[in-house]
Amino acid sequence: MTTSERTTTSERGGGAAVSERVVTTRSARANAHIGKHAQTIAIGVVLVVLLIFFAFSADRFATTGNILNLLRQISPTLIVAIAMTFVISTSGIDLSVGSTVALSGSLLAIVLQHGWDPTLALVAILALGALIGFVNGWFSSYQNIPPFIVTLAMLSIMRGTALRATEGYSTPIDGELWIVQLGQGRVAGIPVPVILAVVIAAVGWLTLTRTPFGRYVIGLGSNGESLRRTGVNTRKVGLAVYVLTGLAAALAGVLIATRLSSGSSNAGSGFELEVITAVVLGGTSLFGGRGSMLGTILGALTLGVIANGLVLLHVSPFYVQIVQGAILLLAIFANSKVWARFGAVRK
Amino acid sequence: MSDEATPYRKAEEVKPVTSADSTVDRVVMRDIRKRYGMVDALRGVTLRVGPGEVIGLVGDNAAGKSTLMKVLAGAVVPDSGEIVFDGRPVSFSTPRDARELGIEMVYQDLALCDDIDVAGNLFLGREPRKAGGLLLDVAQMHRDARRHLDALNIRIPLTDIPVGGLSGGQRQAVAIARAVTFGPKLLILDEPTAALAVAEVETVLELIKTVSAQGVSVILITHRLQDLFRVCDRLCVMYEGTLRADLDARATSLERLVSEIVAHDQIDPGAGDAAAGDGRRENDTTEGARR
Repeated sequence: MTTSERTTTSERGGGAAVSERVVTTRSARANAHIGKHAQTIAIGVVLVVLLIFFAFSADRFATTGNILNLLRQISPTLIVAIAMTFVISTSGIDLSVGSTVALSGSLLAIVLQHGWDPTLALVAILALGALIGFVNGWFSSYQNIPPFIVTLAMLSIMRGTALRATEGYSTPIDGELWIVQLGQGRVAGIPVPVILAVVIAAVGWLTLTRTPFGRYVIGLGSNGESLRRTGVNTRKVGLAVYVLTGLAAALAGVLIATRLSSGSSNAGSGFELEVITAVVLGGTSLFGGRGSMLGTILGALTLGVIANGLVLLHVSPFYVQIVQGAILLLAIFANSKVWARFGAVRK
Repeated sequence: MSDEATPYRKAEEVKPVTSADSTVDRVVMRDIRKRYGMVDALRGVTLRVGPGEVIGLVGDNAAGKSTLMKVLAGAVVPDSGEIVFDGRPVSFSTPRDARELGIEMVYQDLALCDDIDVAGNLFLGREPRKAGGLLLDVAQMHRDARRHLDALNIRIPLTDIPVGGLSGGQRQAVAIARAVTFGPKLLILDEPTAALAVAEVETVLELIKTVSAQGVSVILITHRLQDLFRVCDRLCVMYEGTLRADLDARATSLERLVSEIVAHDQIDPGAGDAAAGDGRRENDTTEGARR
């Protein structure tokens, strides 16, 4: 190798032949961007198709009353799904949210019956939810026990506690208390749960996409060791996401109980499946590293539209569960097989 | 905050120096010993690195290269021995201690988050923030990333694509660039070219030259011996936990290096030295002029 050759190579930083090889092509960029948004677009299209289908086939579907009712029905699911998006983005899972809904609703009704101040009761229930999440997070993140097992155990513990506390009976909530407005109230005609869900969704989107915490959540699911080496306390991040789902599940429990004016230990059965389906349907990867808040919102709405529409078409409500399970399976299949063809996904 | 906004200021503050005019050693490791049970991993190794110097650390598997570098990066605590950094005796109990002094190690397994974009990976853990630290300053991050990549002559046209979509060489370049954003004084690269295509190796070797020209000392561990002669000032050969040879890269032939690595004394150590040595020396002169 001659001197002149060497110098040229140094100055050009690799030479022409090299730069041609390593330059990222336009198609790579297009693939990356399509891969990022394709699932969101797809679920959006599915939602629109369903809306049109039900609007023409079910008489009362496209009425303001029904749409608001649908939105109120889906609000607890959406609130927990927002939090679950964080958990699943870290490649974790929280199966205990349904039981937490039952426990928080039941305990709320019980403590109100004992004459607690509603505000204090609300704060206590939310704190309990956060505590349940903390325990989930401590075992999974600090003790490295698979979150699937930790939260499955917690599912059983919380459901059992709810059953023990209520002895299986529903506990009524006094309709005179202000807290009932959380589930039944309206502001400017819009149900309070819907307003809460919209606010939480906006905060959740901002947190996931625009804050360091959201960045670390994605990083933890993508390559936790890499994130740890940059000095981020990955265990704290891994714990925090379960606190979010615990908190969200407790709020969902309060909304459901106050909506029905009754706390039941049987509330929220199958709730975790609904929530996880909404998240996966929206394109968040069960393997972590990819989370779409907009997708989760569209996913939750899609589930709500299907459940609502089928009922209006007088289809047996038992089919709703079958459809939901089938959707979950299809969504996971699509996530790992179809969308994986787009450049951005490597897992 | 302001430090995060100009991540490589430290590297720029260090005046470009070549190995020739260095007076104070960047780091001196003296008589480092480490024993794992019955195995003597390091049996008294002494290694010195000057500012802006590129050292090739070679040796067969289990020669002790990785252990020695882990000692330097603070991941392994030696049984005995002394480390002097910029003239001051130091001791590390965690990688964080070493990092705070300006020692960065880029590991073999890349350690990037595939799903996060180029800019995000460069600043992972130290993102520029706004709104009182609550929000990421995404625009600032992409601007800094672009400036940073340009300064290192790294050809990645877009900073907003996930690194999972990049080639192996680009990913390695991003990993090295990230280490450089910490403003290190000493950069340890463990097999940076092991899994790369030929053209991509060039990218990484050029990057090593660029970084060392900014005054950063580099220790390069590699099995690709031909790379060593392209970028290194000195070649340190380890053999069974000792430093067997400390060679001038300009005056050493490939045959000599191989014979040192396998500890094969029978091969004539002088053979072929002259040819390789001259080319390298000339090259260095032109590079010095360019700087």
